[in-house]
Amino acid sequence: MLWYILRRLGGAVLVLFLISLFTYAIFFLLSPDPAYQICGKTCSPERIAQIHTTLGLDQPFWVQYRDFMVGIFGGRTFGTGANAVACDVPCLGFSFQTNQQVTEMVASRFPVSATLAVGAAVLWLLFGVVGGLIAALKEGRFWDRAVMVSALAGISVPNYFIALLLQYVIIVQLQWLPFPQQVDFGDDPLRWFQTYILPWSVLAFAYAAMYSRIVRTNVIDTLGQNFMRTARAKGLHPSTIISRHALRPALTPVVTLFGMDFAGLLGGALITETVFGLNGIGKLTADSITKNDQPVIMAVTLLAAVLVVVANIIVDLAYTGLDPRVRVKAS
Amino acid sequence: MKMRNLLAPIALVGALVLAGCSGGGTSSAPSDSASTQAVKGGTVYVLNSGYSHLDPAQGYDTGVMDFYRLIYRTLTTQGTGDQANEILPDLATDLGTPNDDATVWTFHLKDDIFFEDGTPITSEDVRFGVERSFDPDIAVGSPYARTLLADVDGYEGVYRDGHLKSIETPDDKTIIFHLSRSFPDFAHAVSQPVYTPFPADAGVTTTSLDEKPIASGPYRVAEYTPGTTLKLARNDYWKASSDGIRPALPDAFEWNMTLDAATMDERLIASQGDDANAIGSSIQAASIARVQTPEIKSRTLSGTMGCSTFLALNTTKEPFDDEKARQAVAWAVDKSSVQNGTGGTLLADVATTILPPQMDGRQDFDVYPSTDHAGDPEKAKALLTEAGLPDGFTMTLDLASGTVSQAQGAAIQQSLEKAGITVKLNSIDSSSYWESVGNAAKENEAVLGAWCSDWGNGETFLPPLFEGSQINDVGNYNWSQLNDKSINEKMTEIRSMTDIEAAGKAWSDIDKSLVTMAAAVPLVYQKVVLVTGSNIAGAYSDPAFSGQIDLVAVGLKNADE
Amino acid sequence: MATALNEVTVESGSVGALFTDSAPTPGRRVWRELRTSPTALLSAAFIIFILLLAVFAPLVAQLTGWGPNEFDPDAINPDLGGLPVGPGGGIGSDHWFGVEPGNGRDIFTRIAYGARVSLTIAFAATLATTVLGVLAGMLAGFYGGWVDQVVSRVMDFLMAFPTLIFMIAILSALPADNRLVLLVIVLSVFGWTYTARIVRGQTMGLRTSEFVEAARASGGRGLGIILREILPNLRGTIIVLVTLSVPAYIGTEAGLSFLGVGVVPPTPSWGKMIAQAVPWYASDPMYFIFPGVFLFLTVLSFTVLGDRLGKILDAGDAA
Repeated sequence: MLWYILRRLGGAVLVLFLISLFTYAIFFLLSPDPAYQICGKTCSPERIAQIHTTLGLDQPFWVQYRDFMVGIFGGRTFGTGANAVACDVPCLGFSFQTNQQVTEMVASRFPVSATLAVGAAVLWLLFGVVGGLIAALKEGRFWDRAVMVSALAGISVPNYFIALLLQYVIIVQLQWLPFPQQVDFGDDPLRWFQTYILPWSVLAFAYAAMYSRIVRTNVIDTLGQNFMRTARAKGLHPSTIISRHALRPALTPVVTLFGMDFAGLLGGALITETVFGLNGIGKLTADSITKNDQPVIMAVTLLAAVLVVVANIIVDLAYTGLDPRVRVKAS
Repeated sequence: MKMRNLLAPIALVGALVLAGCSGGGTSSAPSDSASTQAVKGGTVYVLNSGYSHLDPAQGYDTGVMDFYRLIYRTLTTQGTGDQANEILPDLATDLGTPNDDATVWTFHLKDDIFFEDGTPITSEDVRFGVERSFDPDIAVGSPYARTLLADVDGYEGVYRDGHLKSIETPDDKTIIFHLSRSFPDFAHAVSQPVYTPFPADAGVTTTSLDEKPIASGPYRVAEYTPGTTLKLARNDYWKASSDGIRPALPDAFEWNMTLDAATMDERLIASQGDDANAIGSSIQAASIARVQTPEIKSRTLSGTMGCSTFLALNTTKEPFDDEKARQAVAWAVDKSSVQNGTGGTLLADVATTILPPQMDGRQDFDVYPSTDHAGDPEKAKALLTEAGLPDGFTMTLDLASGTVSQAQGAAIQQSLEKAGITVKLNSIDSSSYWESVGNAAKENEAVLGAWCSDWGNGETFLPPLFEGSQINDVGNYNWSQLNDKSINEKMTEIRSMTDIEAAGKAWSDIDKSLVTMAAAVPLVYQKVVLVTGSNIAGAYSDPAFSGQIDLVAVGLKNADE
Repeated sequence: MATALNEVTVESGSVGALFTDSAPTPGRRVWRELRTSPTALLSAAFIIFILLLAVFAPLVAQLTGWGPNEFDPDAINPDLGGLPVGPGGGIGSDHWFGVEPGNGRDIFTRIAYGARVSLTIAFAATLATTVLGVLAGMLAGFYGGWVDQVVSRVMDFLMAFPTLIFMIAILSALPADNRLVLLVIVLSVFGWTYTARIVRGQTMGLRTSEFVEAARASGGRGLGIILREILPNLRGTIIVLVTLSVPAYIGTEAGLSFLGVGVVPPTPSWGKMIAQAVPWYASDPMYFIFPGVFLFLTVLSFTVLGDRLGKILDAGDAA
């Protein structure tokens, strides 16, 4: 078991290393010279050379990459002498646009993305699993149809479209909700809820649709299996049958999917945050890409990759808890 | 204009782009938020996209210069309201005393002027503020120190080279500037942010001010997270008695820099909760239709930016080395569709001259008249045939990737298509914009450019854009790359003219020549539409800051809300 | 993103227990079953409509009387910021779906040309990912061993990437020429892994079936067996995968265009139209509703069709 975990961790580290290398290489090759970005309109050749030296841009690729990776674990100093600037662990560099420490920028926006992810996750797990279950139990009848049609709509409609539509109908026309405003839960819980309820719904709609379809198929499958007939023959109570025997195997693909989806959302819901004007990591990503703020792009990409890889490991470990067959294979 | 009194021989210098100029527009129509008197107290909220630098040695666009007046004071500064285009004494007792040929200027400082930590502002502090701005790390701001002061060749600022000889401080209250040439308008120059004083012995470095500014004005920075939030609180050491310009009525200011343009417009229009105490930047075209109700109209301001948007044609690239090809483009462009793309009649006026309307001595003319300014593709085609291009040609247009530029570019593309000219749009995002269009070699056949006037003087407008000697390899603004002997000569001539009226008219004549030879095609003069919260008072569109709201004059109608 | 294909969705969602190891379903039966399903017919009809719209876009332009990039200054009100004149964003006999604010371009014509972009990119990307994915999946599944290891590790690597961020970053850094080709390439590079996973699983199952054994016994070698025995048995799977990939790519391309890294203006694209409609959503909602509805219905139709096909093939195999 331990060996299995170590192997997984080792593989994850390798993948992360490769991703960081690949990402750094792509941006190294594709990004325009940041020196012009930093010094703006009035750029003398000396100033440009100086910026290159301070940021280490005159070094060969491998040196730059090494400095970047070392900086993440041990902190880094840019420039020399009186103009030296220290960058704390984990150093992800300084933004070309705002000159802030990237780590700070990302950390300050993480709570918004996390709020978005958690709220949406609660909603979509609830509606997705329950919806899929109902559809499976009422297979072929009205509720099955109803759930499946909504699910089809959910996976077909682009989420920015739904976001705009909801904003227009609910905020502008019906005025049931005020415009989203960034408030902390502690300051104004009502406003906080009013701000997040629409983005949560938009995100949850799409994911719940997907999940309900999967749960429905798997539960129907499971219900037809032999061991289910045995359970019924044994005289077990229907709810026990459903919760212990039908739902459990149906949940394994849901767990896999959820791990990746949730981790992905923590890394920022680009489109939803942009449309609703929420200052999370997704919006930071979208902004930094349009502004070509390379250190920030690197940071959010790495963060997203780390989250997904970690989620995968957690999901794998959860599997060994859920599915005994995997446990056996693992040990 | 009142500016005229201060201008003797015209000797202004300054290459300022849309982002870096300080005005010349016309004032707003009266509206409720302007005419109502503001009261003391309350917090004003500002919704915008943030500021480049809190360090005034580096910040050089009208937005940030408008903001600097809240926390910084300079020897002189612009007035407010009716005096918005006038220069008035701020830290100095008067507008300075020049010697006979205006090469040496003496200023005396007022009493009761203090920094936010209580230390008095002395002449050494003013000198320090100027001297630090020469450091190569931060010398990106206003050029009015390095281009005017004497003995600055090779000077790299006080941190590296010690004191500048051309600034003398015989005592704490007196400061003397030695200039490199006669400059009668120096009183205006010292209002520029590079002349902001900082305590000479408080450990101010080239990077510390962006994080922890030291205020001399009515407010100080209480909290700042770049790109997110900025909060100002009162500077308790600022004395209203020493400052006749800033009413400083609100107790605090608070910025929200995280919103996108559409959200900002929505919130200002809705004016809910704290947004009733909010102001912002010009609204987008899409929001114009939403501000038509009487209630919202009563808190909407309009003004001009004092700028000119035009199509610069690169005379060094084929076929624009041929005047006829350029004139064909001038005939073909549909200016009313460019106006529509900019946001319609409230956000732009069609331009037929390069100099915008408020410039001294400017005359209006239209060298390429067409019905409704829609362009004349037939005339264009005829000219193209004469130029040996009967089947038209293909060209690439450099432009910014912002929404308005894109809409303007699409309009140009469509109208030139009718004359057989195929336009490819090269959209450049803001991070590499200056690197591309400012590079004389990289520039394509045309640039969608804009320029603002600094003062009402044509000298700040036409030479940087069209004078042969101002073509640079990098940091180039002469996008037409025009090097025309007769134009160059005329410009030099005007610079030595003493009669301002005649000079103004002469600049306008050059404007006409430039448009006739189609070195550039004037497109629109941009305007602003500003919506304020329902509890805002004292707001007006300030021509000195590209039509934006003058932050020092703004306050609340009712401070208890 | 819910619009991106997900292996688990395909595996256990819409196609259920499709992946068994019996003989392929006769095509004729599939056709017959499809024809009796009203939802499938409706979806197919809509898809054909969109295809026609895309292919005959220039004819549509002639029909409406407006080119896709042609401005109509009379249809907008310059005093209201360029708002379209008339209800519903300018709906009228001149412009059946109204016009775009600011320039007065005809929305119906632009939707037709936008269909071209959406479908071209989606079909091209589907083709590329299907070819790549099927090949990789078959090779990995059949040969196993180090071939499988290499392919699987590459797939793991690609799937750990935050694909949306990456696609945006790469596309925004590259110059604007050949944007269509670049989009297809970028979508394909990140998209083939899903197809490959499924096909690999299928191939591993088929590898041990009787007819493969028989082929081997009669002297068939690797590549021959793969092409002659395995590939035909994957027909059903591939058809469903293709039908479900198309809407995923339509959605992804629209999303990328929405975020500003899709096709270059003035080429119309449904995603870009919605993106440009965002600031106008309160004063001219039809500007985003028209392309949005078309996008929704197109993706829906392909998905319903794919679902139905999956069920039919599934039922056939189970019989």
